[in-house]
Amino acid sequence: MPSAGQITLVFVSIALFVVGGVISLWRLRRERAWQRAAARLCMWLGVLTSLIVLVWHALGRGSWLPLEDNFDALIWLAVVLAVFVMYVQRRRPIGGLDWFVMPIVILLLIGSAVTGLTDPHAYDVKTIWSWVHRATAYGGAAAFAVAGAAGAMYLIANHRLRRKVALASGPRLGSLERLEQLTLTSVTLGFALLTIGAITGFAEMIREDRATPTAKIVLTAAVWLIYALVLHSPINPSFRGRRAAMLSILGFVLMLGVIFAVLLMPTTGG
Amino acid sequence: MQRLLLLGLNHTTAPLEVRERLAFSPAQQRRAIELLKQQYPQAEAVLISTCNRVELYIAREVHAQPRVQQMIEFLSQFHAVPVDQFRRHLYERAEREAVEHLFGVAASLDSMVLGESQILGQVRQAYDLSRRLGAAGPVLNPLFQRALAVGKQVMNSTPLGEGRVSVSGVAVEYARQIFDHFQDKTVLCVGAGKMSKLALRGFAALKPGRLLVANRDEHKARRLAAQFAAVAVPLTQLDTHLVEADIVISSTGAVEPVITRRHFQGLLRRRRYRPIFIIDLAVPRDVEPAVAELEHVYLYNLDDLQRAVARTHSQRSQVLEQARAIVQQHVQQYLVWQRQRELGPAIDQLYRRCHAIAADEVARALNRIEGLDQPQRAQAEQLMGELARRIVNKILHDPVATLRQADQLHAPAGQYLHALQQLFHLEPAALTALESTQQAGENSADEPRGPQAPEPDQQHDRAG
Repeated sequence: MPSAGQITLVFVSIALFVVGGVISLWRLRRERAWQRAAARLCMWLGVLTSLIVLVWHALGRGSWLPLEDNFDALIWLAVVLAVFVMYVQRRRPIGGLDWFVMPIVILLLIGSAVTGLTDPHAYDVKTIWSWVHRATAYGGAAAFAVAGAAGAMYLIANHRLRRKVALASGPRLGSLERLEQLTLTSVTLGFALLTIGAITGFAEMIREDRATPTAKIVLTAAVWLIYALVLHSPINPSFRGRRAAMLSILGFVLMLGVIFAVLLMPTTGG
Repeated sequence: MQRLLLLGLNHTTAPLEVRERLAFSPAQQRRAIELLKQQYPQAEAVLISTCNRVELYIAREVHAQPRVQQMIEFLSQFHAVPVDQFRRHLYERAEREAVEHLFGVAASLDSMVLGESQILGQVRQAYDLSRRLGAAGPVLNPLFQRALAVGKQVMNSTPLGEGRVSVSGVAVEYARQIFDHFQDKTVLCVGAGKMSKLALRGFAALKPGRLLVANRDEHKARRLAAQFAAVAVPLTQLDTHLVEADIVISSTGAVEPVITRRHFQGLLRRRRYRPIFIIDLAVPRDVEPAVAELEHVYLYNLDDLQRAVARTHSQRSQVLEQARAIVQQHVQQYLVWQRQRELGPAIDQLYRRCHAIAADEVARALNRIEGLDQPQRAQAEQLMGELARRIVNKILHDPVATLRQADQLHAPAGQYLHALQQLFHLEPAALTALESTQQAGENSADEPRGPQAPEPDQQHDRAG
């Protein structure tokens, strides 16, 4: 069970990300150098605070193995996504990426705070495979979050281009080609991780003769199928562009359903 | 008295669908001027037809033809477009307003892309055509020459033309919103005109994988291709090139669409649904608007691009004010010059008539004086003559000065001219003199001389 100090730090981290996001949105009205620097500082401080929570929580648990409970897992997921955004924006920025991914980060941190305040259930990590299952499932979720955000950005950019207002005031999102590429790359990575996660989870379930909530299995299968369709777009190009973007958003929504299924309906021993 | 009329429509009053139906190709423009000259031999005409506007300038005698309705019918008949389909998009201007409008057009203040220099060349071309065909005379010659001078001055002496965002620049920006990199992209240019060249220049700077130029005239295609290290391809294989292309720039002189929805839909599968950015710079349009409804197709026409450009000019109001001030100054100068030219012969006759009366009266008075020897008579004649001249000049000074100030007149110059004629029993020769001045102007360079232009009656002022 996370301590009150850890929960407080999670809230501090949320606040920092929110402030960073507000400053970032403020830049839409008027771009100033200090705003950019302040938004970046808030993001870094938010990540740093989350990492402190992870370290503190690991010390409290007496184990450095990550993803041992859902409080820890959700923070890890948030940190991975935030670092990804900062990496992309530093290397080759995509305008507005933070506006789409950071709300997911904030949502995940709120989820971790809520589970921390209530009763976080510890994952039963008996074998390396069960840990691989957890890591790949969460890794896949992170990739799908990026794909979903890129998909949403694609739809908006596409809409603005079709309305012929892409150069008017408002956010300049990345090019359609780059957003589509980001969606496909994220889906490819996420699909691979999800597949590994599903196989290892299924193997563990059979090996330990455990009952897994049906909703989790059904939603996972649905997510897997949707992303399979998105990945199918290079073969059947009529699935590219808007359709792929819409499917990646739908897939991410279902993926959130899987996460909630895991949080609300923990696996029970058989 | 001459009357200046303008009838037109532009990007602010008419959508592209209407403009393209009333646009004149160079050949049509020539034919239209010839027809006008044939139908209204006494009238002067200049026809400006660009992507953004169709404007017909007419100068004719006050009660002569064509009237505005006849000008509208002319446009309607020429293009076989019913009047009710474009009547509400038209604007009419006369006299000062027409001058203001033309100067604003030449200075690019009426353009969708403020500060674009192409319009000046287009105005010059239209005027040259009318001049060659003998359709520009004593009214339109100085008017258009002044308009060109205004346009040039605004471009040279204000920052309006500096740092302007071009249509091709905006097209490139849009392309960047669709594509991430261009090394593997193919740019196809259909048409080899001036617009194609400008657009191609912008896209060539992106260093695309392939640049193709397709044109009906292969020689022109090869010439344009050579300038941008592009490949000239036959227009007959347009389908093949449309399948390969990622960006298509189309600017042909075709009257009918070159790319239709039905035609392009069949190519989507062959293109493997790759996105395509089509820039239609032609008026009339080369690409059927319905093509834009297809998935993965981003079709932008000239209006779309110019609207985007226009948005970049909102912060340039100071520069605009500067340019407008120059235009207004020239309008004022031109109108004063024009008024002086119209009233000059009448004023001159008025002075002559009054001086003649005064001279007669001086002679009569001298004849009544007796007992003067020759030197005394000569001295008296000189003194009385000078006195009479001074009195005439002083009496006429104020009304003439008022007449010369265009702003102080509240009615057309013709009315004042008519009043002068009636009040002072001037011979209609004054009007004839005006006409002869205009004829002389036709033969000369006819450049407006500005407010300082020496008038025939200036000698009287000096004498006064």
